[in-house]
Amino acid sequence: MTAILTNAPVVTGYDNTLDDGVNKPVLVTGEATFHEVTRKICRPLESPHPPRTWYISFAISVSLLGVLGAMIGYQVFTGVGVWGNESPSFWAFDIINFVFWVGIAHAGTLISAILLLFRQKWRTGINRFAEATTVFSVICAGLYPAIHVGRPWFAYWLAPYPNTMNIWPNFFSPLLWDALAVMTYTTVSVLFWYLGMIPDLATLRDRARSRMSHTIYGILSLGWRGSARHWHIYERATLVIAAFATALVLGVSSTVSTDFAVSQVPGWHETIFPPYFTAGAVFSGFATVLLLAIPARSLFGLKDFITQRHIDNLCKLALVMSSIMCYIYLIEFFIAYYSGNLYEQYAYMNRLFGPYWWLGWIMYFFNGVFPQVFWFSYARKTWWIIIPTVMLTLVGMWCERFSIIVTSMQRDFVPSSWHMYAPTWVDIATFAGTIGLFMTLFLLFCRFLPVIAMSEIKTILPQSDVHREVKKALKSGE
Amino acid sequence: MYESTTTTSSTDVKPQLYGILAEFHDPQTLVEAAAALRKAGYKRWDCYTPFPVHKLDEVMGVKPTILPWVVFGAAFSAVIGAFGLAWFCNAFDYPLNFSGKPYWGMPAHITVAFPAMVLTGVVTSFVTLWILAGLPRFHHPLFTIERFRRATDDGFFIAVEATDPCFSPKNTAELFRDLGAIAVEEVWD
Repeated sequence: MTAILTNAPVVTGYDNTLDDGVNKPVLVTGEATFHEVTRKICRPLESPHPPRTWYISFAISVSLLGVLGAMIGYQVFTGVGVWGNESPSFWAFDIINFVFWVGIAHAGTLISAILLLFRQKWRTGINRFAEATTVFSVICAGLYPAIHVGRPWFAYWLAPYPNTMNIWPNFFSPLLWDALAVMTYTTVSVLFWYLGMIPDLATLRDRARSRMSHTIYGILSLGWRGSARHWHIYERATLVIAAFATALVLGVSSTVSTDFAVSQVPGWHETIFPPYFTAGAVFSGFATVLLLAIPARSLFGLKDFITQRHIDNLCKLALVMSSIMCYIYLIEFFIAYYSGNLYEQYAYMNRLFGPYWWLGWIMYFFNGVFPQVFWFSYARKTWWIIIPTVMLTLVGMWCERFSIIVTSMQRDFVPSSWHMYAPTWVDIATFAGTIGLFMTLFLLFCRFLPVIAMSEIKTILPQSDVHREVKKALKSGE
Repeated sequence: MYESTTTTSSTDVKPQLYGILAEFHDPQTLVEAAAALRKAGYKRWDCYTPFPVHKLDEVMGVKPTILPWVVFGAAFSAVIGAFGLAWFCNAFDYPLNFSGKPYWGMPAHITVAFPAMVLTGVVTSFVTLWILAGLPRFHHPLFTIERFRRATDDGFFIAVEATDPCFSPKNTAELFRDLGAIAVEEVWD
């Protein structure tokens, strides 16, 4: 503990998850001069070869990406009949996976935008990383609305342009809302991610050893030279975008949830849906960030920046989200009972004891019960507890979407129309393919772009503190 | 480190003095130097740092950027525009009746106006930022200075432009040395 008392930048062998109530915990461990920070973060990008694990993971991911290409080709040329969607389950794997991937995206925006507005300094270690998961999972999510319309080459019909049919798109339609929400979310998360990366790309440009990387990073960094006048506008723009993105985090899943809530299907027609979907989305996002951060920090030697405290904080946030989910699960049952609506009550009994009863129980246990292990600090520090827990969370969150979508639809109002749903092999292979797409993009990101926001990490080092000098300067200036 | 090939053309262009660049050891001396420079009456100068130094803009006397106002205007217009579009399409030009719902429903159209606002706001922020900053600009006289590469790593710099009314190659360099610069050099364009 003496190390932090002296405010020295070199802190080793110290558990930064502890709070002594007096000193601020150190967020960057190890030797942390400005240059060391640059060097350590650029090391994985500048080493001639990535670790062998990277090659193996990349080979698997690219193979899965190939499967995705084949499945989309097959589906587009043959028709959506290759999927298992049929009456009454008109929505199935396509919408389940769409909601699943959109959900994963939410943690990145939450970490980079909401934690920025709340001035949570620990976010600097993981924001780049989390934003990358956002961008890549939004890409996976955006794929589904595009292909599930069956004839994607007519997707432009959603745009309000004067046409020969003399008709306008229906602005009350959830399909239009989805398209708008996903397009907005993709654009915003890509721009926010890229904006944050520009100073770091300039660092890579200035460290480049080959002409090619100098040119590529040079173009990408737009000629950034760290000017204080530019930083002034840049910081303001970041703050403004963060404010929009904060609203967007709450808005996108709410929009997605209204796709369901505006219908009259029992189990969908609920006012709790917007917060329900948003909480679930953020929860699955934190699970993904944890699942990727823990291996990446040891694989690329980034334990000084993504410290134990970061993991600890993420686990705590996952616990909060899990508890919110528990509350919502209970409220849903209560409201179904309290509404006195027979169809609503049946929908919920069907989730617990219907043909897909096991999916319902998986959802309640994996999302609501297991993550409660994070109440214990030992669990938050132990990777072999965190990894399985968050993996089960992801499974649980996927099952939740299945439960909401399929079990509600396959037993609707009239028993004569009830029909069991089962996915086809194309459904399953397409989903596996999107995991491949996500992982391929993620591995490329780890190899070629700065995984940690260098310029932001430098602002939280003790030696960058200038408040005394600023105070003196502003006083004498008056 | 990749060496940039700065070819001085032998034919016509005479190199012009861009200004004087000074390097400081740490952000603290940089802030003090910036305060002193402002006091000395310099107008066309800038600090270059690897990260946003807290409140350095205030010390330098940088005027608050107009960016938030531009973004507000754009986002506000987008909301009006989106509501207007939805109204024009579904309630005015070709009224569509869905399940007897009203043609125009403001609350239902928030799902259209909200993303329009966010999208326009964010794109405007991004574009306005680069317009105000005068970027992208791939060539800059400072990029010819070898030590300036550290401005994105661990170097803290101040450059005074030769066009500044207070500028004099000798006096400005002298001032920088007095303020504790670890290196002072002339920048030629």
